[in-house]
Amino acid sequence: MLKRSEDEDGPGRGPHDLRDASTCQDVLSLSISSTAGYPVGGTEMAPSVQYHCACLSSSPAPPPPHLPSSSSSFHPLHTLFFCEECDAVRCNRCVAVEVSTYYCPNCLFEVPSASVRAEKNRCARNCFMCPNCRNTLSVVPSDPPENSDGRLTVPISAVGEPPFFLYCNHCRWDSAEVGITFEKPTGLAAQLQKFEDSAPDSLEFDRLKEHFEPFIPAASAALARDIPGVSKYNPSQGDEMTEYRSRVDIATASRMGTGGGDADVEYMRHLETVSEVASLNQRWTSSWATSFQARDLKPLRIPLHSKRSKRCPACTHILIKPEQKAQSVRYKIKLVAANYLPAITVTLPHAQQAQAEAARRSLGKSTAAAPEDDRGGSGVGMHAGKTYPFHLALTNPLYDPIQVRLSVQRMHVSTATTTSADGSATEKARRPPFAVSLPTSSFPIAAFAEAWEYEDDEDMFGVDDDEVGAGRGGREKDGRGKVKTVGVLEKRANVTVVGGEVVIGKEARGAVKFNMLVSYTYRSDDPAPSEGNDGSPTKSTKPPEIKTFAFYTVVDLGLIIPREDVRLDSES
Amino acid sequence: MAPIRDKFTIHSKAIVCQDVELKGDITIGSGTIVHPKATIFAIAGPIVIGSSCIIEEGAIIVNRRKEVMRIGDDNLFEIGCRIESPTVGDFNTISTRARVHHTVRIGSYCVVGAGCLLVPTEDEILDDYTVVYGPAAERRKWSGRGKVQEADLRRKHAEYLREMLPKFNRLRRGDGT
Repeated sequence: MLKRSEDEDGPGRGPHDLRDASTCQDVLSLSISSTAGYPVGGTEMAPSVQYHCACLSSSPAPPPPHLPSSSSSFHPLHTLFFCEECDAVRCNRCVAVEVSTYYCPNCLFEVPSASVRAEKNRCARNCFMCPNCRNTLSVVPSDPPENSDGRLTVPISAVGEPPFFLYCNHCRWDSAEVGITFEKPTGLAAQLQKFEDSAPDSLEFDRLKEHFEPFIPAASAALARDIPGVSKYNPSQGDEMTEYRSRVDIATASRMGTGGGDADVEYMRHLETVSEVASLNQRWTSSWATSFQARDLKPLRIPLHSKRSKRCPACTHILIKPEQKAQSVRYKIKLVAANYLPAITVTLPHAQQAQAEAARRSLGKSTAAAPEDDRGGSGVGMHAGKTYPFHLALTNPLYDPIQVRLSVQRMHVSTATTTSADGSATEKARRPPFAVSLPTSSFPIAAFAEAWEYEDDEDMFGVDDDEVGAGRGGREKDGRGKVKTVGVLEKRANVTVVGGEVVIGKEARGAVKFNMLVSYTYRSDDPAPSEGNDGSPTKSTKPPEIKTFAFYTVVDLGLIIPREDVRLDSES
Repeated sequence: MAPIRDKFTIHSKAIVCQDVELKGDITIGSGTIVHPKATIFAIAGPIVIGSSCIIEEGAIIVNRRKEVMRIGDDNLFEIGCRIESPTVGDFNTISTRARVHHTVRIGSYCVVGAGCLLVPTEDEILDDYTVVYGPAAERRKWSGRGKVQEADLRRKHAEYLREMLPKFNRLRRGDGT
């Protein structure tokens, strides 16, 4: 069983997200088929582990996990970086970001940063977005004129004839509907440029820019005082700001189709169908204020994307730097935390068992999955006043074996209030609502080796046979022959599974969420594998080449089902 | 209900692969292509498919009504779509995984987008040039510009399949031959 739960862990996390999404969709579209194959769990959230980045707190210890604000200090492992110089975890909140290239996501043209502003951050070649559904538009030639008898003339010549227009393959919008056609199928943005430049709001914007031009040096001086690196103050300009006069006043502008004012009110009064009005989604991708009317929507140049490199805030060393070319998905420098810290995944065996059973039950009758879930849900949750085992699977990304020690961060009794909204919260605050026990001694995780990647694949095929798990994968038992819940449960490849136990108080409510300090020791220089590293604690005392790194994580095991609910459940 | 009597009338120029599931009274017109693993079920009334249609694998065409289900010419039924409309005009595209209920009658030059569900409870007719798209099955009217090119592409598509499919699949013949 252990083996099985471990194997399900990897793929199990991915589909769960999907499952949540598809259940939402279910509500909307009443489609049954989308969830048919999945065991839909009663609990919406899978147990999770997130890693702490100390950038927000003054002390190295993380905030108590039950505070809602603590969530901003914890991040999933794959979003974190690791600075080798500072020997510290860095998150997206604290890194310094620089843009290394701008490119068009459609044609993958790398736009020099000098022309990005002139092109108004959008692709200035042939890439357009459908204003109706935001699909990419394609350029198509016009149809040949139809015969008089109405029959289609087929076949036509391969070379198209002008005028060309933009055409959406998804919703069949075309630019000829709004009167935009092209004489030749290249350089479309340039052909459209004159429309764009002569638009009243564009002219107005240029005028505004012109008006503010003399004041920019003054403003930059103010910036330069606060932010180093901004260009210096040029005192030749006066500080007097002249009054700005707009090109056209607002009433005339609204009549010219920029939106707003009486013209829109008048239009809305005579509205016949809702689809005549462009939805908010359709309008806000446009840079300018556009008309309300769906028939006025213009094709949009595709906004540019950027590749960014990130630096450590403390030592300004680069943490991640993508390759310059837009086509490349590789990195020149990539110091991600997943390559340094052991990856931890948490599972609740009892929940998995319940889920597997629910899946088995709903296998034959996929359409009747919905009522099944509700009953399955009670098996998956954790009830107050009970004890549950949980498994932590730690994966070592390093090429050297490591020794790991886990400890639960002590919760301050005064801050352990679970629900302050509750009237009786102060009474509950006396003791934490649950107690967690983890293995106290350190345990080893074997080194990562590429060969094991392949071995894992084989494991996946034999999941069912491995359920017994006795033959392989050294599952450890107590001296008394009883399967232990706390301690090292399984070691295979570079993964070690340890068991923990949570005792939930009788009056507990809220989530079982605790901070866990993970400290591991690794050999920094000598990669020679030693045979004695199977759990011998003497290893970690060898002084020179052994280093220790510690980091905090928050483990979220899910919600506690309070006592009242338990009674309800037992009745049904 | 009486057991369904199978009667397949397949035009000699139609390409119907061996590995398709046919049930009931089905007529398939000239030049129509039915990929392997497609399903055509005439549960109650017969199904008549016109010429030069393309029915891709996993597509399901069902007639639940007593009357004849008529499918016009040059329609494209993409992979995994399911269609139960009593009538379908010409030059329609039913995209991948789309589903059209038996309450909808489809005109000509319509497009039902990928994954769209068209399941109204009351009868309705999809006018010519209607486009259904997006996750919320929004509708709009197509101007019809570019239809000649699309028709041309459709015919080339069919032509290619007529040439290639028989090379790799056994074909099914009608009852008459």
